[in-house]
Amino acid sequence: MRIFSNTSIDFLGRRKIAYAISLLLLLTGLVSLAVRGLNYGIDFRGGSEVVLRFEQDVPVGELRSVMRDAGVSGTIKQYGMDRSFLLSTVFNGDTNELKSLISGALNSQLKGNPFEIVRIDAVGPSIASDLKWSAFKAMGAALLAILIYVGIRFELKFAAAGVVAIFHDVLIVLGLFSLLGGVFEVMPLEMDQSIIAAFLTIAGYSITDTVVVYDRIRENIRNRKPSEYEQIFNESMNRTLSRTIITSCTTLLTVLVLFIFAGPAIRAFAFAVFAGILVGTYSSVFVAAPLAFEWIKRSKAPVKLRGSQKA
Amino acid sequence: MKNKRYNLLLIVGVTLLALWSLVPTWKEYSLGKQLEAFSSPRDSLNFVLNHRDEIEDARQKGLKLGLDLKGGMHLVMEVDQIDLFMQKAWNRDAKFDAIMEEVGRQAAATDADVIDLVSAAFRKQNIRLSRYFYDIRNSDSEIQGKLRKEAADALVRAREIIRNRIDQYGVAEPMITTQGNRKIIIELPGISDENRMRNLLKGTAKLEFRLLREKGALQRTLDAINTALSAPSSSGSSNDAANNGLYSFVQVYGSDNAAVRAENRELVSDMLKRPEALSQLPPDSELLLAARADEADDGSRLYSLYLVRKTPELTGGVITEAKATFGSQGVQPEVLMSMNSEGTSKWARITGANIGKRIAIVLDGAVYSAPVVQSKIPNGNSVINGIQSLEEAKDLEIVLKAGALPAPVRIVEERTVGPSLGADYIRAGLQSLIWGFSAVVVFMIFYYRQGGLAADVALVLNVLIVLSVLAGFNASLSLPGIAGIVLTMGMAVDANVLIYERIREELAAGRSITSALSEGYDRAFSSILDSHVTTLAAAFLLYTYGIGPIQGFAVTLMIGTAASLFTAIVVTREIFRLLVSKNLMSSKSFG
Repeated sequence: MRIFSNTSIDFLGRRKIAYAISLLLLLTGLVSLAVRGLNYGIDFRGGSEVVLRFEQDVPVGELRSVMRDAGVSGTIKQYGMDRSFLLSTVFNGDTNELKSLISGALNSQLKGNPFEIVRIDAVGPSIASDLKWSAFKAMGAALLAILIYVGIRFELKFAAAGVVAIFHDVLIVLGLFSLLGGVFEVMPLEMDQSIIAAFLTIAGYSITDTVVVYDRIRENIRNRKPSEYEQIFNESMNRTLSRTIITSCTTLLTVLVLFIFAGPAIRAFAFAVFAGILVGTYSSVFVAAPLAFEWIKRSKAPVKLRGSQKA
Repeated sequence: MKNKRYNLLLIVGVTLLALWSLVPTWKEYSLGKQLEAFSSPRDSLNFVLNHRDEIEDARQKGLKLGLDLKGGMHLVMEVDQIDLFMQKAWNRDAKFDAIMEEVGRQAAATDADVIDLVSAAFRKQNIRLSRYFYDIRNSDSEIQGKLRKEAADALVRAREIIRNRIDQYGVAEPMITTQGNRKIIIELPGISDENRMRNLLKGTAKLEFRLLREKGALQRTLDAINTALSAPSSSGSSNDAANNGLYSFVQVYGSDNAAVRAENRELVSDMLKRPEALSQLPPDSELLLAARADEADDGSRLYSLYLVRKTPELTGGVITEAKATFGSQGVQPEVLMSMNSEGTSKWARITGANIGKRIAIVLDGAVYSAPVVQSKIPNGNSVINGIQSLEEAKDLEIVLKAGALPAPVRIVEERTVGPSLGADYIRAGLQSLIWGFSAVVVFMIFYYRQGGLAADVALVLNVLIVLSVLAGFNASLSLPGIAGIVLTMGMAVDANVLIYERIREELAAGRSITSALSEGYDRAFSSILDSHVTTLAAAFLLYTYGIGPIQGFAVTLMIGTAASLFTAIVVTREIFRLLVSKNLMSSKSFG
């Protein structure tokens, strides 16, 4: 079976439209980041979270008023599982106090409905700033490593265009997180450590897609004149299109499985990777290669890609 | 052709090795299943006794589950370096305290180096560190070096003491490590009583024996503080609760007893910390509250107040043995302590010189009891009473035996997962694994037919390798780790997709299946290498900079990517070689 055989889509010819779409997406995301900001989880802002599970369902409003009367400040939301609630409040080194406050109030106010504290997360402010900083370092180091590796394997212009594509993907997903953060009850899309892992996964995926296209360009470009470059780029992208789509589909499929089955702890991660793969597939064809082409066209010198002589 | 034979051997070898390293995991699982099948506790106990070695062995070599799947506590504790440095300073004054307090506030909000913050704060005030630390002739950088060493020592000592406490409490397979220069990371799988654990860990366990001030001093001091606090201050109205004086919250009985109602404990302890109150204390004195409330006749709970000397007569460093037991009446739990020879002779001298006076036994700033010295104690024994429960006495025994921490430690991060949520996570993780796997397998066969089948074989091997490496290297599988495996499955077929698409192209160009196969693999190789190396690099950076759950994800992603390089390039190729040599492949084999 084949879905895409012998396509001949003029990707480069439509690059202006693609640029417009990308800019629109990026701008929307950036505006939302500036206006709405991000919905930080406790990993990055510090705080305590307690997940409570009850034996029978409780209306969230009742729970809120019980907690308010007990003097527990903070918010209470339905958690992704049955009869479960997430209480988030300020950080206090002594979770024992918080626990006894909660238990005392619930045991006296909701007598017939036993509950269990199934999870406690508490992150102090110094740890939060620690985590933020290490997330930042990880992203920076990953981008630098990718730039160097692709620069060595191909050429700096290609590497730079690839990194621009990564930025494009990550920023769009980040914008999406800002735009949708806190909108859905089942999926608050908070920025936490797992989202950083998702962004690095997106970066890795995005550059993989890009490299596959580049690789085909390298194979086709040797001993050809600059005037033929546009055709070579288009042909290379068409030839790899089938692989790009198939791989995206299988990966999307598995991420979808994670989104559905792996529970609330992984949901935001799965959502980020899902969106990232969609954008990353698009960007490898419509952002990375066109930008590299644009740059090469302007510099007017024939490209010398490493490894193209023996390939 | 010889080379090819090696490939086959390699594949068989890797597969067997992977299966072999998963045998204990399988055993653990099946033993667990057998154990579940017993209906009576006696049968299961017998089974455990008969198979003890087997179970132990399987548990040790089997695949470990992370804290999130098994349930347990992950704690990050921070040594209070500010407190440590304040202990080291030799002529503290108000200015010093003010600077250190400011640094403390800064340090709580960032992860900046405390010594740098301290130096910067003193430099800003134009004060040399040597004015307060070590020798006056030391330069700032020398002092910084000394403080740094002090901090490093304190961290190591704190880790050892915490390890001691945990070992004595009895937790299976705890992990205690240090991170940076002031953090201790503690992983405790399967804890049943977290509250008790937290209490056990966070106390400094600083034990002191302090003399109470002479008769009448308590009342005089409280009178003075009361007057000082009720005097109309410049701020606030006189109706303000805090300005009503101390006696609205403190009851005085006779000449030497004073107490605070339980509900006012915090308030009073804050009031006593105010500068107006502190200035009224007699020299070398301190007001301390009792550790435990006594029940009054009217049913209210009262905390006693004690006026004690600031300089302890003796500290907990001399304690060699501690034992929780019940007191002479058999109802009150208490802790018996014995001292080393130095402590014994000091204790004899102190008790001998203070017969008829009261000595307070103070642990972490709270008074447990203040008995009257009846006679000289020559054998170095002492006892802590005023303890709520035997459990608390046992915990005191543990912390006293382990010794005092060099500086207070605080819990700065905690992640606790209850066992029932862990079971949920396991179910969710398994479901995602199964569904993700089925989805990919079916898709590949549907799209690439025979080729897809080979890719699926490679995928099975891939997952096997990831699990076996985790089991073999004693790494643990967490929920993010499972997510990593599922994601790797999606990406692992990428290498095969690249190759197969290439083979299809070559076939379409009219090549024979044999030459299309070898061209396809050769030409796709550089793409596969590049994409795998970049993914590996990203995963490696995640592993380096991420912590806890993120590392679990990164590890499975790394192993999975490396395994996928092997399965895609070596395994599937070998399968096709075999199939071609048996004439089982045609140009239609790739769909």
